Amino acid sequence: MGQEIMAVAAARELRDNEMAFIGTGLPMIAAYLATFTHAPGLTLIFESGIIGAQPRGLAIGVGDFKLLSHCQKATSLYYALSLLQAGRVDVGFLGAAEVDQYGNINSTAIGDYRRPTVRLPGSGGANDIASLAKRVIIIVGHQRRKFPARLHYLTTPGFLDGGDSRRRAGLVGGGPSRVITDLAVLGFEPVSKRMQLESVHPGVTVEDVKAETGFELLVPSTIPETVPPTLGEIRLLRERIDPEGEYLAPPQPAAPKAV
Amino acid sequence: MTQVSHGQKLISLAEAAALVPDGAHLTISGFAHSLAPLALVRELIRQGKGNFELTSMGDCWAADMLAGAGRLKRTRLSNYMFEGFGRCPNFSRAVEAGEVEADDYSHFAITSRWVAAALGLPSMPVRVMLGTDLVRKKPLDRDAIAEAPCPLTGEPLLFVRASRPDFALVHASRADAEGNVQVFGTVSTIEEQARAARRVIVTVEEIVSGQTIREQPESTLLPGFLVEAVVHVPYGAHPAGMFRHYNFDRQHVEHYVRAGKSPETFRQYLEAYVFGVPDHYAYLRKIGIRRLMELRADPWWGY
Repeated sequence: MGQEIMAVAAARELRDNEMAFIGTGLPMIAAYLATFTHAPGLTLIFESGIIGAQPRGLAIGVGDFKLLSHCQKATSLYYALSLLQAGRVDVGFLGAAEVDQYGNINSTAIGDYRRPTVRLPGSGGANDIASLAKRVIIIVGHQRRKFPARLHYLTTPGFLDGGDSRRRAGLVGGGPSRVITDLAVLGFEPVSKRMQLESVHPGVTVEDVKAETGFELLVPSTIPETVPPTLGEIRLLRERIDPEGEYLAPPQPAAPKAV
Repeated sequence: MTQVSHGQKLISLAEAAALVPDGAHLTISGFAHSLAPLALVRELIRQGKGNFELTSMGDCWAADMLAGAGRLKRTRLSNYMFEGFGRCPNFSRAVEAGEVEADDYSHFAITSRWVAAALGLPSMPVRVMLGTDLVRKKPLDRDAIAEAPCPLTGEPLLFVRASRPDFALVHASRADAEGNVQVFGTVSTIEEQARAARRVIVTVEEIVSGQTIREQPESTLLPGFLVEAVVHVPYGAHPAGMFRHYNFDRQHVEHYVRAGKSPETFRQYLEAYVFGVPDHYAYLRKIGIRRLMELRADPWWGY
């Protein structure tokens, strides 16, 4: 359920006829769901040089031949990423190892950069997408260690130090518009650019979200519940998009709460 | 250093690896589980070559094998990840142990360093990496980036210095004896890497006639004048794949990732698949004809 509602909430952020830069996993599932529902005219771009993908089935990554086969244009990484710099990409989807209160992301290292405890894969195209897309949607599991007060390494820009620091740094893209987790949908307060709660998923409380967030979250006085997935959306996810449960694991029984 | 003369570009894998000296600055083709010249990388390791420096975009496979064999000294990279299988085990462990120095870029910025070299420019402006640790933390490349306004409009930009690796090592679909190289499917950053490098060695799935190349010239990614040597290496990307030739070998990738979990098990992997086989054809025999045939691409889907 947690992953399904993430996919559904993310899909609803996409609009028809947009140019969307997509990563692996849940972002891909969300993009497929959008094309099967309200956004059939979405153009899917992958940094590997795949423009206008028309995939048959789930891909394991952005370099998967399933995405390349019968796409509109097979080209270079430089071409695909240059579309971002030219302002042609409406929306980018990103995952994260760590995300802070301004939507900055770490995907490089945990611990000291030169001698890290855990060396992560690195930016890839994430910094490019987040620097340049008109808006960015971050999809991440909501655990305290993934929402730290301070990142170990700032790989990918959100709103940097908040306020207008992003614009002053010379970043031309719009920055993150939403953070979608398995607990909630979050956004950014327009002036301070601090992360704020937008809605909580069914069965989740504001306190649950705060408990799993390592920084102070802005919480408006009324928090609606995230619109739950429709039966049609659930069926598309389970029967058409991920029938093997590769990304959307079957729902697990809830762990008993400590009293 | 050996130099291959014009008109004799077709050489053996052993001869190709012998061209690359210890300590060379390499850039290697690859994106996720495709386009990786892994037969050549295995041969470099077999010949004892090492102490390499890499400038990297997506050559996770080459980097991880070199790191696991202790042949990688330092790298500037934008991303090493085994898509669908997690982190690159040997590379990650080597950085965590302080054995490999790393300096991080974004994909667009590292590629722009090759583009600058390809265009004959000292640097290239980009609008990425600004405001992040990719600019602030530069253990190797403090002098390779600089923030400066556009002299014409005043807009803030990041300039990245041209990078000219000693060698580009590339795996491609097919070539002719003159070194005209064609690639089917996405082309990653092969063109930028090859145009930036001082010398280019290409391994290919097929050697075809010059006439065949000229019947489809729009597919020629690298014209012969850029290419010093060509090696015929069927399944040369294995366990990675090649679009329209064969899919990546999921079973072998899982085996590799498991082996990479510790130096001891990876040493056993290298014994089995690199040191324990005299050449690429012995490697293919070890993988087995049945597996290789299973990986063959369906001509309609291309994989």
